[in-house]
Amino acid sequence: MKTKSRVLASVLALGLSVTTLAACSSNNGDNGGASNAGGNANAGGASGAKDTITALLPPVSPTYQDNFEQMAKDFNAANPNLTLKIEPASWEDMTQKLDTQVNAGSPPDIAFIGSDGISKYVQQGMLMDIKDAATSDMIADYDPAPMEYMKNGDGIYGFPAYMEAHALGGNKEFLEKAGIDYKSVQKNGWTYDEFREAIKKGVVKEGDKTSRYGFVFATAGVASKDYLNILVKNAGMPNAFTTDNKYAYTSKNFLEVLKDIRQLIDDGSMPKELSSVDAGKRWNMFLTGQTMITGKGLATFENSANKNNEKIDANDGSAVKGSIKADYIVLPVPSFLGQPAVTTVAVDGYVTFRGKKEPTAEHKANVVKAAYFLASGKVAATTNNDLFVAHITKTGRTAAESMTVNRNPDNVAAVSTLLSHAAPARPDIPVELGAKAIKLEDEVMIPKLQALLAGELKPEDMYDALKKAAIDAFGEDGVVKD
Amino acid sequence: MNPSKKSFIKRKFGGDAGWGYIFIAVALVVFALFTAYPVASAFIISFQDYKPLGSTFIGLDNYTETFKDALFWRSIRTTIVYTILTVPVALLLSFAVAILILPLKKWMQTTFKAVYYLPAVASGVALSVVWLWIFDPMESGIFNKLIGLFGIGNQNWLGSSSTAMFSLVFMAWLSSHGTSIIIYLAALLGIDTSYYEAADLDGASFLQKLRYIVIPCLKPTTLFLLVTGVIGSFQVFQNAYLMTGGGPDNATTMVGLLIFNNAFKYFEFGKAAAQSLVLAAFIAIVALLQFKFFGKEVEY
Repeated sequence: MKTKSRVLASVLALGLSVTTLAACSSNNGDNGGASNAGGNANAGGASGAKDTITALLPPVSPTYQDNFEQMAKDFNAANPNLTLKIEPASWEDMTQKLDTQVNAGSPPDIAFIGSDGISKYVQQGMLMDIKDAATSDMIADYDPAPMEYMKNGDGIYGFPAYMEAHALGGNKEFLEKAGIDYKSVQKNGWTYDEFREAIKKGVVKEGDKTSRYGFVFATAGVASKDYLNILVKNAGMPNAFTTDNKYAYTSKNFLEVLKDIRQLIDDGSMPKELSSVDAGKRWNMFLTGQTMITGKGLATFENSANKNNEKIDANDGSAVKGSIKADYIVLPVPSFLGQPAVTTVAVDGYVTFRGKKEPTAEHKANVVKAAYFLASGKVAATTNNDLFVAHITKTGRTAAESMTVNRNPDNVAAVSTLLSHAAPARPDIPVELGAKAIKLEDEVMIPKLQALLAGELKPEDMYDALKKAAIDAFGEDGVVKD
Repeated sequence: MNPSKKSFIKRKFGGDAGWGYIFIAVALVVFALFTAYPVASAFIISFQDYKPLGSTFIGLDNYTETFKDALFWRSIRTTIVYTILTVPVALLLSFAVAILILPLKKWMQTTFKAVYYLPAVASGVALSVVWLWIFDPMESGIFNKLIGLFGIGNQNWLGSSSTAMFSLVFMAWLSSHGTSIIIYLAALLGIDTSYYEAADLDGASFLQKLRYIVIPCLKPTTLFLLVTGVIGSFQVFQNAYLMTGGGPDNATTMVGLLIFNNAFKYFEFGKAAAQSLVLAAFIAIVALLQFKFFGKEVEY
């Protein structure tokens, strides 16, 4: 009896061990999807051999992930020997999931990420350069400006999905009440002084309390770096590095922008609690009429505002609590110090990765086919329409002709104007310099900006701290001195 | 085989001993795979410039950089402040709640234990969302509404360096004491009732019983909770990551968050591994000091 129970216990213990190990091994198998695919192609050799392409994709647009099955089917119908295996991820999980897979040496073949992440993965050596595998027809399908964002050095690391302007968004009714000729602003832009006076007019007070601010920009959480980055582009610093690769934010113009940032809060046009306002909070403030203008503004916000308006009309309980009907107006970011307006753009796209094994030419070509399929034609047209963003491929524009989108034509024209002076891509910046700038931004610039917004630091002190850190990082000759 | 060697093997691995090894095999395998191997890997990586496609050995560079990094030392100081402010209060609260639950009927004890343990089961992210609402800087925030009743204006709880640390500490004071309460309660139930009976005969008051019976008997438990509490507090990451992101001006950048950023934001795994090992050594020293100073009078 004693021996029997011991044997039974041992079997259970072994069973548990095997289950644990099996779980690990099956996990490894999943992670190794990309390299397996590469391996298959390797083995197959000849063109037309079966291959699987893995893609890690977040919910790019509200309906994007609902279409995965159809996308995989359509891709397989066009390429019978290829299987597109899509792994969905939430936006929250996306970076962590991808980074874990990258650092384990087994990333997916394709991942949807921002082009600003390319340099990080290039430095890791984990991106797949597709310049030899992408055909000239494929490349020619794209507008040149967004395509440049997918480059680093000489390499091309995927296809762009869209180029979205980071703008501001206004409430039409409040803008009109404040006497702001928004149509003229959309066409001609505005200077900082004009903007400052305009948002002062948008402030509504009830006794001592402000019931509506002129301008609220999200500066907490994931949006923390946007505010300053968007503003400084319009102050003669379209990139953190000048064309001769000197760190630009040591320029005196940077200090002037910091002073202006503080001034807008001190005017009472922006809340003094701005440093804690995150993206969700400021959108809620916009929809509930607590601000006239918000930032950063994305084209898709017009869609969100329209949907909320419909819910209010239909007395739908899922409308944002306390919200009012709001017509969303796209507005440009003001320019500073007489400098030309430069629009910050987000170019996101389908970035191509490699595993530890060198991918074969066949597998590379197959990955390129899949990335192009996702980033052009019907798929791109559907996704971009869903997001209200401009099409950047010829095939996408053609496919979109048969689709209807209910957009404010003034906003469409405004976005088009903004994109006409989009900040150019800088694939020439060495990855090491780029990595240093990102670290400087995360460890000095954003923390100091938070203190500046909270009124705990003077603009001059923030500027001095950043300048010192920049000189430590890039050397005396590596920074702008003016 | 030499008969004496054979009998040694039989003595060590045969019979009950052999079964013992089989039974601990699962735990050993799990420990080796998920604890020993990652620690050993981290040790090796700490001497490398880690890259998935091939790392290079760089000697002590990661350690030198760590020791020169002003932000690392600042994050250590911040973590120490956080630990000093949270752990003792958390222990006191857990102890007080356990004392309050002790005289209750069993079903009520169980109910309270479940209620206090509930936050440990709930997702940290979900809890943080609730706390973000509580600390909302505008008028709609619960705390701002509360202090508004006393005529105090809105506070930028998480956005100002004068209140951000307090906000995280306050959050720690009011959440996740479930485990400590259960452990304290189990220890309280383990105290021999004859001590209380003797104290009653001597006419001891509640406070005297607490001072002369309960506290001395709970010393091993308190030491255990103190050591594990300090270790947990030094590794704190989630609250700072989700609530403040380490800001403003790095006022809430705990060392755990800094290590995470180095590893997953900048892909500097070598530096992150070196910082983790320095932190581990620091925690080990603090734990040893705790045993040295607080463990003297502990009877196990």
